[in-house]
Amino acid sequence: MSVPEQSLITEEHRAHIGRKSDPVTVVVRDEDAKRTRDILNDKDPRYADGTGIAPPYVLAIMSGGPRRGMPQILPGGLLTQQEWKFSRPIKIGEEIQAVSQVFDIRDRLGGRYGYSVLVTSGTEYFDKDGNHVASAMITITQFDPKAGRQGDE
Amino acid sequence: MSQRYYEDTNVDDELEPLERTPTTDMAIDFFGRDNPTNPAFSDIEAGKRLGVGGALVPGLMKLAWMTQYVGDWAGLEGAVRNLRVAYRRPDVADRPLVLAGRVVDKRVEDGKPIVELEVVMLADGQPSTRANVQVELPQRG
Repeated sequence: MSVPEQSLITEEHRAHIGRKSDPVTVVVRDEDAKRTRDILNDKDPRYADGTGIAPPYVLAIMSGGPRRGMPQILPGGLLTQQEWKFSRPIKIGEEIQAVSQVFDIRDRLGGRYGYSVLVTSGTEYFDKDGNHVASAMITITQFDPKAGRQGDE
Repeated sequence: MSQRYYEDTNVDDELEPLERTPTTDMAIDFFGRDNPTNPAFSDIEAGKRLGVGGALVPGLMKLAWMTQYVGDWAGLEGAVRNLRVAYRRPDVADRPLVLAGRVVDKRVEDGKPIVELEVVMLADGQPSTRANVQVELPQRG
């Protein structure tokens, strides 16, 4: 795909910006905490079996999967920026409310993929008392893989 | 795992480098085999179609490694508060990655002793992922 003559970002796409999702309940599963610990070979006793505390990176599982409310403008996508914040430890078995929103959608010209679209979204996680637990912000660079420059990798 | 204290930590202190080699099995198991993930995490051809040159190492797994790396450095009474990561280049499975880091700032913020670290993930000696990490450390006494 060559560089488009005008932005592929439509008003319909822009309408996603700032629109908060309905809260989604996420339960931190023991199996997710244990599996991710095992893969990382994490021996930290704070997160060992029986402590009831999940390693902070279990946020990767809570925030993974399809991006709620994130518009798909170009077919390819790579994670280019991310931010995690933790207000307190994440407990295994607790129900957490996740609220997501798109913060920004913008065009980018040049770089590895020529024309691309950067979509930034975030999710805030709150406990049942409404206290902030964690947040995850993510920027995905959407691109057309067929437009990639050869030899850049 | 030794305990790190705010008073004993200085700007330009370096973290001991740590090597990790991600595999496609790790990538799939990390998210769980019953969870949908990017096909490029396990399929070399899908990675190549993205222009990556092989199976893609998930960014979230690299971020998890960075979180663990800094958490281990901080010790049991430390707490990772914030990680801001820029993925500069995609990484390919089965190639070793080296984690390294150094202290770039320390300050008391809202009464909390905060140390800021710059952490990189190196592939073939070149940074593929850079992070700024804020860690809360305990104070002596």
